[in-house]
Amino acid sequence: MKRGLITWDKAELPPSVFEARLARARAALTEHDLPALLVYSDVWRSTEGRHLTNYMPYWNRSLIVIPREQPPVLLCGLSPRVYPWIKSVTIFEEIRPASKLVPTLLQLCAERGWTQLGVLDLPRLPHEVFLPLGASNVEAYDVKLDLTDDAELAMQRRAAEMAREILTVELPKGVGLTDYQFSGLLELACRRAGAEDLVLLFGTNDSAPRPARGVMLGDKYSVAVALEYRGHWARVTQSLPL
Amino acid sequence: MAERGWDSILLYGNAWRKDPFRSLVNINFSGDHALARLSRSGEISVTFSDPWDAEVACAALQPDFVKAFSPGASAIAGLEFMEERFVAACGSLPVSATADVEELRRVKTAEEIEFIKQACDLADRGYQRFVEVAEPGMREFELVAEVEAFLKTNGAEDNFMLIASGGTEVVGMKPPTERKFKQGDSVTTELTPQVNGYYAQICRTLVLGEPSREQLKAFDIFSEAQCAAQDLIKPGITAADAARAQNDIFRKHGYGDYTGAKYTRVRGHCLGLYPDETPHILEDIDYVLKQGMVVIVHPNTYLPLSGYMVFGDTLLITESGNTRLNKTEKKLFTK
Repeated sequence: MKRGLITWDKAELPPSVFEARLARARAALTEHDLPALLVYSDVWRSTEGRHLTNYMPYWNRSLIVIPREQPPVLLCGLSPRVYPWIKSVTIFEEIRPASKLVPTLLQLCAERGWTQLGVLDLPRLPHEVFLPLGASNVEAYDVKLDLTDDAELAMQRRAAEMAREILTVELPKGVGLTDYQFSGLLELACRRAGAEDLVLLFGTNDSAPRPARGVMLGDKYSVAVALEYRGHWARVTQSLPL
Repeated sequence: MAERGWDSILLYGNAWRKDPFRSLVNINFSGDHALARLSRSGEISVTFSDPWDAEVACAALQPDFVKAFSPGASAIAGLEFMEERFVAACGSLPVSATADVEELRRVKTAEEIEFIKQACDLADRGYQRFVEVAEPGMREFELVAEVEAFLKTNGAEDNFMLIASGGTEVVGMKPPTERKFKQGDSVTTELTPQVNGYYAQICRTLVLGEPSREQLKAFDIFSEAQCAAQDLIKPGITAADAARAQNDIFRKHGYGDYTGAKYTRVRGHCLGLYPDETPHILEDIDYVLKQGMVVIVHPNTYLPLSGYMVFGDTLLITESGNTRLNKTEKKLFTK
């Protein structure tokens, strides 16, 4: 569950960035002569959908459909009551409720006359999506996309800077605390700074980094901070003594 | 397994749905994938995709996780969440053990109940913190940061949390925004800390300032609805009964239109290794509740009186009724 700040700062990531990304996706569709691209998205597998649309399913799952010649459509497992908020932080203008993802997708395909679909990274589709899609009359084709661009790298750099700056200030404060207590300090600092999500791992006595479990950190420990800033993850590890 | 004729089952977990794996091997892995194999004779083997998880658990490492799967397992719990490339590596189409394992998980052991009680205690203390720090001028995400820090400081592994603030324009909860709290706001939250793998939940509404007559009237309806379900729940009643008991209160007060999917999601759900376990408490779910199950009943919905409001507690179903595991006062909080 994402419970940090999910937002879209258009000065930081202008709409033109997403237009360029969609254009790349559409170029791939043209290359393969496919009418639309399907992108699966859930609370953990959100990177690809976020890159293309800034959409983050903070809970539940969704399918993103990028037609070759029409605006993207979100097939959304979340309640229509949150659609205004989703529209405020993504590029979507059309959102369809989809408590059952694949039937809603097939309905869309039927409406638009699509008998084929490109699927971003088809082998990684969850089985419960893959199976009914495979059994339908819509043929699915694996499509790969390069999801790296300058804007993506800049955001990842920002996430890394945020993690590094906070860790540098906070790291010495863990001496004499349990890993739980130190987690609390890091959570507060990172989420106040706008981190969307956080995974903290602690290493003591030369052990591999692991989630907090209530042990004293002593005066020699390492902390791995995986920090998500506006959909972009970076992992920074620092050790004490520095 | 013997009943089903299964010689071995796989229990798969990923970073979002760790629960099938953790129902057998309760290790909080931090990598992408984990897999446990259980034989009918009781032998267990474990594989992780992340080297740190493997080292901590002294278990097998398989960075190319497709290779963790091979033909031979009788059934898989968590099959539905698995990437298709993993399913393909299993050979012929595997059988799902997800529903069977979920049914086994519904009735909790004494140890599991103890973990859920600890999570409830943390939920209560977390909500206390929520009330202490919320104030006009603070932004939603800043409040969540404070609560999250408190929960982690006190041993939460994770926390499922939604929030909303405002008045009658608020129709649901979502992740926190940059909105600043104002005097008179209803600030709602579902707080769901996880302790030793197990989630417990509390739902409360806080009004900043003196509550309006409409907010008080709305809360009375929510309180009556939640109490109606809590009074009813015992082994043998259905999830539908518990939902109907709540919805009937809204109907009695003339707000029956606000009990459907347009304004609300569910009237509660089970809790355990996943924060939204089935069966959901809905009028069309005829699942019979059993002793040892842990559920939250929460008549959370939008009402035109107050906007979206929440109220709910975690309940342990006992031999003759239920025990409320949250200790937080059942009231409309004000500050």
